[in-house]
Amino acid sequence: FITADQESVLLAALTGPNAPWAPSQQNFSKTGSVKRRVQHYGYVFDYETANVLRDRDSDGIDAKCPPMPSLPMDCAGCCDEELESFANDSVKNGDGWNVLAAVIEKVRRYQFQDEATSNLDNQDVVDNSVVSEEGARGNDGGIVATKTNPIRAAPLSFPNINQITVNEYKRGQGIGSHIDTESAFGDGLISLSMGSDCVMEFRSKEGTKKLVHLPPRSLLLMSGPARFYWSHQIVTRMTDCVDNKVISRRTRVSLTLRTAISLADESGNTSPLHIVESSSFPPKWGDARNNASDDTSDIATPETERSHVHAVYDAIATQWHHTRGKRGVLWPGATQFLKELPTGSIVADVGCGDGKYFPAIWEAGSYVIGTDISEPLLQTSIGACSDFESKLGPESRLISSVRSGLNARPAVAVADCMQIPMRTNSCDAAICIAVMHHLSTTPRRLQCLRELARVVKPGGRINVQAWALKQDEASKRKFAGTDVFVPFNAQPRYLKKVQNSPIERSKGNNLKERTTKCQGVAEMYSEAYDGAEYDERKGLVVFQRYCHMYREGELEDLVSHINNLEIEHSGFESGNHFVIMKVV
Amino acid sequence: EIFKMRLLTHNYMQSTVKGTENGYPLQIEADKIEYEESPFDPDFVIALIPKIEYKTILFAVQQIAERCSTDLPSEIQLPDLPETIEKDDNSEYDKELLKKLHVVLLDIHVVQGHLVCPGTGRRFKITQGIPNMILHEDEI
Repeated sequence: FITADQESVLLAALTGPNAPWAPSQQNFSKTGSVKRRVQHYGYVFDYETANVLRDRDSDGIDAKCPPMPSLPMDCAGCCDEELESFANDSVKNGDGWNVLAAVIEKVRRYQFQDEATSNLDNQDVVDNSVVSEEGARGNDGGIVATKTNPIRAAPLSFPNINQITVNEYKRGQGIGSHIDTESAFGDGLISLSMGSDCVMEFRSKEGTKKLVHLPPRSLLLMSGPARFYWSHQIVTRMTDCVDNKVISRRTRVSLTLRTAISLADESGNTSPLHIVESSSFPPKWGDARNNASDDTSDIATPETERSHVHAVYDAIATQWHHTRGKRGVLWPGATQFLKELPTGSIVADVGCGDGKYFPAIWEAGSYVIGTDISEPLLQTSIGACSDFESKLGPESRLISSVRSGLNARPAVAVADCMQIPMRTNSCDAAICIAVMHHLSTTPRRLQCLRELARVVKPGGRINVQAWALKQDEASKRKFAGTDVFVPFNAQPRYLKKVQNSPIERSKGNNLKERTTKCQGVAEMYSEAYDGAEYDERKGLVVFQRYCHMYREGELEDLVSHINNLEIEHSGFESGNHFVIMKVV
Repeated sequence: EIFKMRLLTHNYMQSTVKGTENGYPLQIEADKIEYEESPFDPDFVIALIPKIEYKTILFAVQQIAERCSTDLPSEIQLPDLPETIEKDDNSEYDKELLKKLHVVLLDIHVVQGHLVCPGTGRRFKITQGIPNMILHEDEI
């Protein structure tokens, strides 16, 4: 039903940093919590009562799930080709929420055909498959569709879809056998599968069992008896068997589109609840009012950055530094920028990390003061370049012994780029490399630029570089969205001690003893960091780093908001956008 | 191996605590000072002269002399610095002056202690030569 690219971009949005996961809930029989992560749009499906929360204003914030993503104004009423074209443009822009809006509209418009068959062994995969009772032909709907024996019948469509639940099934997770609450949803339960195959089991009230293979990107329609009479479940296990082949499960994300209905009136009639939608993205829980923030809180550190940037670099600092050589040489544009500096320049390296650019600055005969928010990472910058001496070229402007002296004691401070602890108009130049893509909001990005412009004196130059959404043609890397998680595979032996982790506090014994047991350390970090996972097979802790990938022109646009910055030159190189500017 | 904070670095640092008009220069409360001799490059020192806030250098030296909690190590002779830096009649800097500046800018290091915001009194800790300038949420 969707292309592979559409699937990637959708998944990046639905499981990425801005995904609006619901607070965890108890399940209906209160035997435990719902372990899968879920999201709701339009109306919340409440697992405790197994019903829809119809009054979005009641029950506090827990009923105010994000609205259904809707198309922008100029797309309303567009034809099918324009809709598909909009979806594909959104894919190119890495804009998952607009792709979702397009998919919702596509499903609302879709004409499902009733197709009858008597061949029940044939479980061919088709784009829309509907499950039926054995031997049923036609009029009730709910029939296994196959490619071999279609019978055209009345068109079937669900234009009033007003509720979505997204379910994330990690390997081995499933969902218990159930029929979707009749009073909650009308006919037509439509499920888009992404990320993995799985086999769904259907059981009739007499106990007849049917298996349906759901490949990724397929759309499943449950209508008529399939929706009201047959229960469905996904068995909790690691693999499925399809056509005598064993398929391993990967993380599967299902997007279920439903029509929530009102409570029945005296005559027993129900009607679809009105559609709650918005084209404002990313979708958020709660009132728009609650999300507005005053000036200062606009630049306060968001939780996403705390756990998916700061905590990650703190943990991986040692490995990051040791593998620096593997991650590539210095970016050529930056080294050129530094070479052009007059001798004796004072350079602020904001977000300096492990001091990768310090040697280039000393070689240019200048003095660098580096700041970074990660103290563990800063600590690896001492002797920033162990083979520093051997890299010196004839253009080096300081005598080698002076450079060694600087190299032995780099000037660094722990600081947030939101408040650079340097005096106004004091530096000749500043570099800010691979920092802007870790800032998650526009006010924070502007604040970083503002601070850079403040510490550099008029006439001084600044170089900013950040990851681009569009990568090189030759690169294997492709970013599926503008706000994504980029994994870092950490080897437990490199992981540094975490102060105040829950396990640290409870055990309180010597870290040395524990670090020899790799698995123990990995478990410690998996729990200490939200979103980090322990990959048992590889023995690695996978951290997810938050990154914002810049579109073409986006950095330049941000700079244009800062009055005392003038762009000298900007461009794209090695998968990054860069801007070189002057303070005026 | 540890970091050490030079007075040259201190020359650029300021406090950004909210509401303070005056975050510079930071006062120095030194608990541990070290002297580490480094090779003298007169051209480098000359290049630095126009970049530094000289009054702050004098201030920093005074802070160390007055507010060091332990006795200064014997090898530290805080140089006697003039009120202003001036070139001599040949339009050059006196070599002895350059050597003193070199010592003060590059060879005297604060290893442990605090930097203190002059406006609010807020203390920023220096641990193993690295000052921690991260503000608390209510200071932003």
